[in-house]
Amino acid sequence: MSRKPIHRLPAWALRTNGAVVLLFLYAPIILLVIFSFSASRIPGQWGGFTAEWYATLFDDSRLQRTIAVSVRVALVSTLLATVLGTMSALALERFKFRGRRVFDALLYLPIIIPDVTMAVMMLMFFSQSFSLLESLFGIGLSKGFATIVVSHVAFNIAFVSVVVRARIAGMDATLEQAASDLYASRWQAFRFVTLPLIAPGVLGGALLAVTLSLDDVVVTQFVAGPGSTTLPVYVFSLIRKGVTPTINAVSVIMLVASLILVAGSVGLQRANASRGRQQLRTSGGNS
Amino acid sequence: MAEAKRERTERRRGFLLALPSFAYMVLFFAIPLIIVLVYSFATRTSTGSTSLSDWNFDAYRKLGEPIVRNVVVRSVILALVTTVICLVVAYPFAWFCAHQRQTVRNVLLVAVMIPFWTNFLVRNYAWRILLSEGGPISSFTEAIGLGETDILFTKLAVVIGLVYAYLPFMILPLYASIDRLDRRLVEAGRDLYGSGPQTFRRVVLPLTMPGIIAGSILVFVPSMGAYVTPELLGGGKETLLGSYIVTQFLTARNWPVGASLSFVLMAVMLVSTVVYFRSGGKNL
Amino acid sequence: MSAAVSLRGISKLFDDVTAVDNVDLDIADGEFFALLGPSGCGKTTTLRMIAGLELPSAGSLQIFGEEVGSLPPNKRPVNTVFQNYALFPHMSVADNVAFGLRMRKVPKSEISTRVQEAISLVRMSGMEGRRPNQLSGGQQQRVALARALVNRPKVLLLDEPLAALDLKLRQEMQFELKQLQREVGITFVFVTHDQEEALALSDRIGVMNDGRLLQVGTPEEMYDAPVDRFVADFIGRSNFLKGTLESPDVVCLTNGQRINVPAVDAVTVGDEVQVSLRPERVMICDVDTAPDGVARLSGIVDSETFLGNSVVYRVTLDWMTIEVETDHRPDLERHHSGDRVDLWWRDDAVAVVKP
Repeated sequence: MSRKPIHRLPAWALRTNGAVVLLFLYAPIILLVIFSFSASRIPGQWGGFTAEWYATLFDDSRLQRTIAVSVRVALVSTLLATVLGTMSALALERFKFRGRRVFDALLYLPIIIPDVTMAVMMLMFFSQSFSLLESLFGIGLSKGFATIVVSHVAFNIAFVSVVVRARIAGMDATLEQAASDLYASRWQAFRFVTLPLIAPGVLGGALLAVTLSLDDVVVTQFVAGPGSTTLPVYVFSLIRKGVTPTINAVSVIMLVASLILVAGSVGLQRANASRGRQQLRTSGGNS
Repeated sequence: MAEAKRERTERRRGFLLALPSFAYMVLFFAIPLIIVLVYSFATRTSTGSTSLSDWNFDAYRKLGEPIVRNVVVRSVILALVTTVICLVVAYPFAWFCAHQRQTVRNVLLVAVMIPFWTNFLVRNYAWRILLSEGGPISSFTEAIGLGETDILFTKLAVVIGLVYAYLPFMILPLYASIDRLDRRLVEAGRDLYGSGPQTFRRVVLPLTMPGIIAGSILVFVPSMGAYVTPELLGGGKETLLGSYIVTQFLTARNWPVGASLSFVLMAVMLVSTVVYFRSGGKNL
Repeated sequence: MSAAVSLRGISKLFDDVTAVDNVDLDIADGEFFALLGPSGCGKTTTLRMIAGLELPSAGSLQIFGEEVGSLPPNKRPVNTVFQNYALFPHMSVADNVAFGLRMRKVPKSEISTRVQEAISLVRMSGMEGRRPNQLSGGQQQRVALARALVNRPKVLLLDEPLAALDLKLRQEMQFELKQLQREVGITFVFVTHDQEEALALSDRIGVMNDGRLLQVGTPEEMYDAPVDRFVADFIGRSNFLKGTLESPDVVCLTNGQRINVPAVDAVTVGDEVQVSLRPERVMICDVDTAPDGVARLSGIVDSETFLGNSVVYRVTLDWMTIEVETDHRPDLERHHSGDRVDLWWRDDAVAVVKP
């Protein structure tokens, strides 16, 4: 490693910049947690310690309803997106088939498309297809839980697929061949070799899907119906009306929920990384 | 022949495996996308509904009108400013990370990843509190004798929020390309009489360009379409592209204009990613 | 008795590239057979077709008389030791070895005894609970062998089994592999690019190049009587003298000299041929001191290289250069650069090869 600094910035400047970046990243979150325990009615001011804002959450039935919707949406959409995303990852990494390139490109779009465009697409699609169904068959549908789930799955399949594909690509394909050489059928080879080995990737994809589902405001706002609002959409509308200490408390709860997901994914990455290193070691010496 | 038969079976297996998600993506993604495209060529009737019978480029022509143009220009400028700030802050940080011991490096990377996984709305809300009138930042500047700062609901607040939201997107690809940089090339640059800054400009910068481009796209593109951040920190005063599109749908009920803008926004993303891949980038 | 493995007109095309070109091969029961060739010669593809991991584009493939050419790998009575062993990283040694038996629904009690047997056969007892990543390269290699042998395959296929090991371990494992094969009596077919490994291990060798099987024979046959220039060059070193086959046992060299050769039938009289002459089979002596009745050539010593147990001379003739290797013994005369010398050999020291 070069000891000479090859840049004009001296070491202390780099270190200061590093500290400032970390402070910038973490100070807002930490302060938010602190202020959620402030007794002041003004959310950004300290007025002594209290936990009463958390207590008020339990009385807010609207809030509890939206939390329930959010959890249900996240679970159902994650489950669907994980199954579909894993299947497409397997198809794209391990098979050749007609339409593969089109499918690959189609799965790439939701990742780069802006939220707002996605929201507009889903809104127009549902309003068009619902009025079409109404005029053709007289079936009256309206936006609600199902439209939210459908929309979340539509963007999450792509994310799950990317994560799982990376895992499959890193897996030695001869392991599957070894399984079939040892009398495993295609299904058995998948069940006993492929699936256990890509499981961390599948779990990682699922965690990402939950996170994105719980993060989404724009798309959900466009496709939610009355009574089916999710927590982020509800909180967003509250904040726009004005900030209150109760929102501080809700935010901290959402923060804790996402930190649990982070812990899961960081733990998963570390497990993957150490396994990756071990695999590297065992195959060391090969060309 | 068995070989051809096995090949056909394999292809069919792959197709059947892909079919459910393929069908899902066509129905719930490709068709909606086409609907948006179709609507961007439709006309808004005087009652606020949309007429599909009259096909024209009116909605796209409207993008040239001062109101829309201002929104687009403002969005581009804010997104550019955000990207440049992220780049200037993230490059030295990524460099710093890449030159640490493995354990320190991992801790720093996780530290960058955590805010990225943290709920987006909460991260924006935190700044709303920090920047609020009489809030922590204002109190701090007052305490050190700079007077109260009142930057909430300004462009500055929006830029701070966007930088905060997307900084990890800049750091991670930069880190990846700096980490890949062969240190011996830097030493060779010095050996061949390059000064520090010369070596940086002629050796390091070109070699880390894929990271710079990837990071810039990953910051610029979502900043252009941002909705939540400008709404919460700009207070709706500084209308950006994202908010403007939402308004076209939820308030103004001008679907053709909203659709055409969404489509233009998406085209910007597509073009930038294609440019990235063409420039030799591998993954985002 | 039918052969353990029998290939008839086997070809494999990948898109439009011919990887294996019309191969006929019979491997006898209980034989240790090596497929030898440079990388990309089609040897691994041939092995994978026997395993069922690839299906042949043309031809017939039989294992003990049963046509298996279109069966998937899990329906074939063969097992493979993969080049990088392909041990399942998420399973213990015992679970790896038991995998094939479990897939075939062998009763539980039988599985455990057979797994124990296989593990002790490869001298890995006590390591049953370890994960592959806790094993050294040599140990992984043994587990891979046990995992294949536990199924009592009719044929064991080994894809470059020793390539991943370092030199010392490789020599040890060569010996063990040979012993193991004698012990279990199963037909071993192994693929290698290392000619020494092939010579040391196998009963018979098949040399492949460019998808074609050039020659099959015992290690001695391959070394002493190659029929193809590629084989002579790939197994050991050789001088090649150009000429024309005048009659089945006479070659006219390009300098006009006629030499006697062992009779060949693979080459038509009148064809261009090359005569392979191993450096250690050529004798070197002072001018006009060669015995009578042998083929001889005259030249000038260009260089001498001392290698400890031998000396290598490069001797320049007016039409080519010949390499000669002699033992380093006090009773043998040393020659030096610039010396005029005669080279001679007995008629059976050469082999006629196709150019």
